[in-house]
Amino acid sequence: MQAAVWVLVVGLVIGPFIPMLYASFRDRPLYEAGGVFTTHAYSQLFSDSAFWHAWLNTLEYATLSTAMAVAGGASAAILVSRTNLPFRSAYGRLLLLPILLPPLGVVLGWIVVWGPGGYLTNLFSQRLHVGTLAIDTIPGMSLIEASRLLPVAYMTCEAALSRADSSLEDAARSAGAAPLKVLRKVTIPMLRPALLNSATLIFTLSVASLGIPLLLGTPRNIKFVSSYLYLQWTNAAQPDPATVSAGAVLLLLVATALLLLRNRLLGAEARYVSIAGRAGRTAMLSLRNWRWPLALVIALYLVFSTLLPVLGLAVMSFVVVLTPLVAPWKLATWSNWHQLTTGEFHRAITNSLEISFVGAILATALVAIATLVAHRSRFPLRKALPFVMLYPRATPGLIIGIGFFWTYLLTWGIGSWLRGSIWGIMLAFVVRNLPFAYVVMYPTLARIGEELDRAGRAAGAGWWRTSRSIVLPLLRPAIFSAFILMFVEILCDYDPALFLVKPGNEVIGTTMLSQFIQGMVGPVAALAMVQVVVTLVVLAIGARLFKTGVTGGHDA
Amino acid sequence: MPEIEVAGLVRTFADIRALDDVSFNVADGELFTLLGPSGCGKSTTLMSIAGFQTPNEGRIAVGGAPIFDASRRLNLAAERRNLGIVFQSYAVWPHMTVFDNLAFPLKVRKLKRKDIGTRVREVLELVDLGPYEKRYPHQLSGGQQQRVALGRALVYSPSVLLLDEPFSNLDAKLRERARTWVKDLQHSLGLTTIFVTHDQDEALSMSDRVCVMNFGVVQQIGTPEEVYRKPANRFVAEFVGQVNLIAGTVAGYENSIAIVDVGESARALQVRVDLAPQPRSSVTVAVRPEALIIEAADFATHNGSNTLSARVTSVAFLGDHYQYELDASGLVLTAQSAHQVGSEEVKVHIPPDACAVVA
Repeated sequence: MQAAVWVLVVGLVIGPFIPMLYASFRDRPLYEAGGVFTTHAYSQLFSDSAFWHAWLNTLEYATLSTAMAVAGGASAAILVSRTNLPFRSAYGRLLLLPILLPPLGVVLGWIVVWGPGGYLTNLFSQRLHVGTLAIDTIPGMSLIEASRLLPVAYMTCEAALSRADSSLEDAARSAGAAPLKVLRKVTIPMLRPALLNSATLIFTLSVASLGIPLLLGTPRNIKFVSSYLYLQWTNAAQPDPATVSAGAVLLLLVATALLLLRNRLLGAEARYVSIAGRAGRTAMLSLRNWRWPLALVIALYLVFSTLLPVLGLAVMSFVVVLTPLVAPWKLATWSNWHQLTTGEFHRAITNSLEISFVGAILATALVAIATLVAHRSRFPLRKALPFVMLYPRATPGLIIGIGFFWTYLLTWGIGSWLRGSIWGIMLAFVVRNLPFAYVVMYPTLARIGEELDRAGRAAGAGWWRTSRSIVLPLLRPAIFSAFILMFVEILCDYDPALFLVKPGNEVIGTTMLSQFIQGMVGPVAALAMVQVVVTLVVLAIGARLFKTGVTGGHDA
Repeated sequence: MPEIEVAGLVRTFADIRALDDVSFNVADGELFTLLGPSGCGKSTTLMSIAGFQTPNEGRIAVGGAPIFDASRRLNLAAERRNLGIVFQSYAVWPHMTVFDNLAFPLKVRKLKRKDIGTRVREVLELVDLGPYEKRYPHQLSGGQQQRVALGRALVYSPSVLLLDEPFSNLDAKLRERARTWVKDLQHSLGLTTIFVTHDQDEALSMSDRVCVMNFGVVQQIGTPEEVYRKPANRFVAEFVGQVNLIAGTVAGYENSIAIVDVGESARALQVRVDLAPQPRSSVTVAVRPEALIIEAADFATHNGSNTLSARVTSVAFLGDHYQYELDASGLVLTAQSAHQVGSEEVKVHIPPDACAVVA
């Protein structure tokens, strides 16, 4: 049992990279007969100036995104947990919204509202004659990426602040330091590990990002590593899977290096920050005259980065065209929503719901048992499991997609069945989102005293019996939270599927992307709204049934 | 045949020897206590017996049957050792009722439903929890939870009971009651028991024999009286109760009485010993504060040998006794007396039988 679960987890996470590595060293695609060993793909890649250029763009993009997200997230965390900012507890929750919303949907919302020809872009330039930030430039794109990832920095810093004993700060004040000095000399230095931690993670995630580069960069011919590889895979007149695989291997190496760096920066347990309740902490820093201006800044940020894009999507889904020249109600239509009931759109919705439900069950069950093997067994190789379960968090989605593509191709009957059905996509999504289930489950398990299962062993029950009768029942709230979170994550995931999708097994994310590129903005907006609404409803149900932090996991 | 046989246990963590050649035997029906400060290896020893720690070397047998033997790579799984254990945190399963907590070990042993009910109720009566079988642990007090844990450890009639600091989470009053109660229960069941504690009062009052440990090494094994009155070494003397340690040099020996010169003025102190000490060797004499007899200098009945003149430097009233700090011409002593002495100048008598020479 323990060995089987270990092999399954390690096989699912690490396994798919092997065919990818193999494919990168062959002179022709694996689906063609023959083929010999060669490093041609790598030399091809290294000699392609577009690839290097893409790396430069990616670096600029990731650096800018990281700087903005970390600065914003950390400031917000300090304001919310250490000052007398108005509405701070409401802000505390609202600031998490971007990470709960479907990432692709929000990007589409940004494009609809702020993109070239977007509603507000036109409104500002044509009516008010004021230019807005062009979001189809690298700084513009990083702004969107930063607003998507800001909650990661916010949560990490907020958790660090609420874990840190505020009496440290009280002591500094008693010693005569003014509030601002305390902030500078005590609070911010205390945050340093959290800042480094979230910065590394955000950097990794923005390097791996595919949606924003693809939708905004490609039309302007700004290529990033992720979009370069994707376009090589799909659009090139002569598809070159070996080169793409080689690129993916390189990208994986970079992501892995970043993950290892992050693990070094962190103490072993600090990796699993759990969000504790903010119980009656007295405000330390009085903002005085800055109270309301700062509250307004956060409000404006929330409105522009989250509310308007989602609102834009909502309106878009009900109109023929969204333009400041004609009032929206004159262009109202149901046809966008009507299209969702037929054809590809309908298929995508049912497929997505199906794989989210089944996938969430499978992933939760697998992670629950694997977490027990990792932390509550004597299995000799157990120490590797936490790292393996967290690994996909650092792995770009497109690498998982490519890896599973080759894996299905090489695993005969079962592989070809998975390749032809939605379950192949489901498996890739499950693997990609394993870390979320793990980081929800681990802190709860750590709080269940080990003596409880030792008592079970002493009473004569074996490992599995003890797990089944004692540990798993006690873990139930976390298992439920993990299920909710997995459902939402799988529903909103898209990039691994781009490499696995076939007519008939589309999922919401892939359909949104492909139809948007084809210009079907209205129905795509409606589809995104479906995703947004389902996500919010599921999270609300989850939060109501169990008052555990369903969102707690994202910061790992 | 000893019920529990522990021989040569060694457990190393990195380069620290948590257990260093730990050996002892526990007789059938005996209450055997492992006593020592935190980190001395007592819990590691207990967990090695229970099967939750794997020593690097050594052998453990229960009732003659080996359950662990490093040299034969034998390590019976914890669930197959049939030992009852009560953890420090009690580890009462919070999602099960009192009844289910006790029934679990029997379900694992695949007893019939009817027999489970009978046996669980029998044990619930034994631990005074009869009316509570439908309660959940969070509805019980600390003392009741502890009895659930004890009941759960007894319900399957284990060959041995292991208690890991079971009273440390109880408040002082309750702790004393629980001690007596557990001791009586253990005695009436005749259950071989190993008990781990860092509390010397607990160890002395409950045990048949005590094993004092420090730094993973067994310091002394003996009855509570032996350990208290004849500590084998300085550590035992100091850990088990308060003690005066007096440095000196052996000056002579005759008829089980050693003469030890102590203090700056090299006064001769008679000490009863079992073995003749090395002449001229440096020794430490240990004597308990309550063994010293102090009297006002003017009305002293003791005089002559083993009696020193001293000055009282401080007095503390501790309820049932007074504690005196004395200065006997440079020799600092602590003495206890049930009565107030009421004089600055005192005579202090050190009975030879109350002294022990420690290494």
